[in-house]
Amino acid sequence: MRLIRAELLKLTTTRLWWVMLAVTIAYALLQLGITIGFAGVTGGQPGAPAIPGRDTAPFQELMWGLGASGAVFPMILGVVMMTAEYRYQTITSTFLTTPRRERVVAGKLGAGVVVGLVFGLVVLALTAVAVVITVPLAGGELSFTGSTARIVVGTLAVLMLYTLFGIGIGALIRNQLGAIVAAVAWVFVIEAIVSAIPALRPVGRWTPGGAATALTNSGVDLGLGTDWLLPAWAGGVVLLGYALVFAAVASATTLRRDIT
Amino acid sequence: MSAIEIRDLGKSFGAVRAVDGVSFTVEPGTITGYLGPNGAGKTTTLRCLLGLVTADSGTALVNDRRYVELPHPLTEVGAVLEATNFHPGRTALNHLRVICAAAGLPPERAAEALEQVGLGEVAGKRVMTFSLGMRQRLALATALVGHPRVFILDEPANGLDPAGIQWLRGFLRHLAHERGAAVLVSSHVLAEVEQIVDNVVIIAKGRLVRQGSLAELVSNGDTAIRVRAADPGELVPALERAGATVVQSDGVLRVTGLDAERIGRIALDERVVLTEVSQERSDLQHVFLELTGEGETS
Ligand SMILES: Nc1ncnc2c1ncn2[C@@H]1O[C@H](COP(=O)(O)OP(=O)(O)OP(=O)(O)O)[C@@H](O)[C@H]1O
Ligand SMILES: [Mg+2]
Repeated sequence: MRLIRAELLKLTTTRLWWVMLAVTIAYALLQLGITIGFAGVTGGQPGAPAIPGRDTAPFQELMWGLGASGAVFPMILGVVMMTAEYRYQTITSTFLTTPRRERVVAGKLGAGVVVGLVFGLVVLALTAVAVVITVPLAGGELSFTGSTARIVVGTLAVLMLYTLFGIGIGALIRNQLGAIVAAVAWVFVIEAIVSAIPALRPVGRWTPGGAATALTNSGVDLGLGTDWLLPAWAGGVVLLGYALVFAAVASATTLRRDIT
Repeated sequence: MSAIEIRDLGKSFGAVRAVDGVSFTVEPGTITGYLGPNGAGKTTTLRCLLGLVTADSGTALVNDRRYVELPHPLTEVGAVLEATNFHPGRTALNHLRVICAAAGLPPERAAEALEQVGLGEVAGKRVMTFSLGMRQRLALATALVGHPRVFILDEPANGLDPAGIQWLRGFLRHLAHERGAAVLVSSHVLAEVEQIVDNVVIIAKGRLVRQGSLAELVSNGDTAIRVRAADPGELVPALERAGATVVQSDGVLRVTGLDAERIGRIALDERVVLTEVSQERSDLQHVFLELTGEGETS
């Protein structure tokens, strides 16, 4: 417990956390804005609009799930929570204070849960404001169904689990730039490729991105299909699994290295 | 019980044998100087002792336990290490608050420790604005927060100005001789620690070269007096008649068995002009200078 408090204190006594929070907020606003702007707009071809109209229930579900795509920012914060210790050589005093190194990582994972939840709640609050304003204006009726609740919880879970995922990667790859590049490349490049190629979908649902999509799946098909996904709970377990496996592997390898 | 016990410690980095079978102990209430030239293996030894580097062989214990087994390490051991740093964007006070939080120490210890090392006024400043000496003081404050009774300090005088070094010496003396702490302090400059250490351990190329109390090492054998005289031919027999042993080389007489005053009086009686009378360097300095490659080529 005290290690979690110490890790949170480490975060709040430097600036990076609120820079990351500001970026996350800006990104969420952008996404909400675009979704609101293009809602109900029909593309060139005839047929259903890509994004449901503002007065519909699916629109609301889609809005609630948007925050999850900003998870890359708390993930980077998670990476830095670990790698900054090596970069600034604070790892020496950290390990002198807590010589059982796996406890240090456990403390960071605990703090990561708090960080992820805070980020998630902020994003969801923005979403709530956006939904409450736009839907009645468009003449729709506000609805908060069981599936909306699932998406809200899923969004919180995704932001939290990506933070842990970042901490896991940071523990494994001590080099800050290397770890950030690896994590971002995974999310943007590998995930994109895997989810874009139908043949890779059996693999895709086991990737962090596939698992995250499962958690926030609103049932609105944006062109990639949704039936290939894992159930939401399994998505959560898979994401958590990544974080814990990375942290465990790191504890047995990278973390044991000599600090010279 | 020794506060620090190192037995047959060995550590290699690839082909480099950084520490090779080093053994020594440090007792409570004493200051031990851990001396050796650059690359001798001092830092590696201390990092093994602190659980930061895993030794290949041997043991390194603090209060009879391996560092990683100490339940509350900061309350038992205070350490200052080279290549330790601080997050540049964090203030000095916050740096210590984080450590207090992680160690379960009361948060007010952070400010107290800063006062103790003379950083009270800059407690709220970001570390990036600190000079090398201020960082060194902050490192020392980190070692003090838990009120430990064992101190392990790697070149703690680095970056300190003469007044700071003076202050550090007084402080270490106080810790060891008044508060009964065990202090192990490394240095590659003998003069830096010679005035405060009780015991000395010297290593070179990873191997222990010499250890013992400072008094022992300094009084090891009779210290000789160097004498130059205008006419040594007449002086030498007179000195020998008075009971001295004289070794002559290059016009310098190394005289043992007589003190400088006696030598002067004998010279006066013999009406020989002395051009130099000086105490030879102590054995400790001799050993150390030879090891560091700065010894006289005589
Ligand atoms: N991480 C490392 N990787 C490879 N070699 C290392 C490493 N750390 C130390 N060494 C080597 O081990 C030897 C001992 O180094 P160490 O830092 O312990 O010496 P030192 O006595 O502290 O020297 P100094 O007075 O310069 O601080 C040196 O030859 C050094 O090059
Ligand atoms: Mg060193």
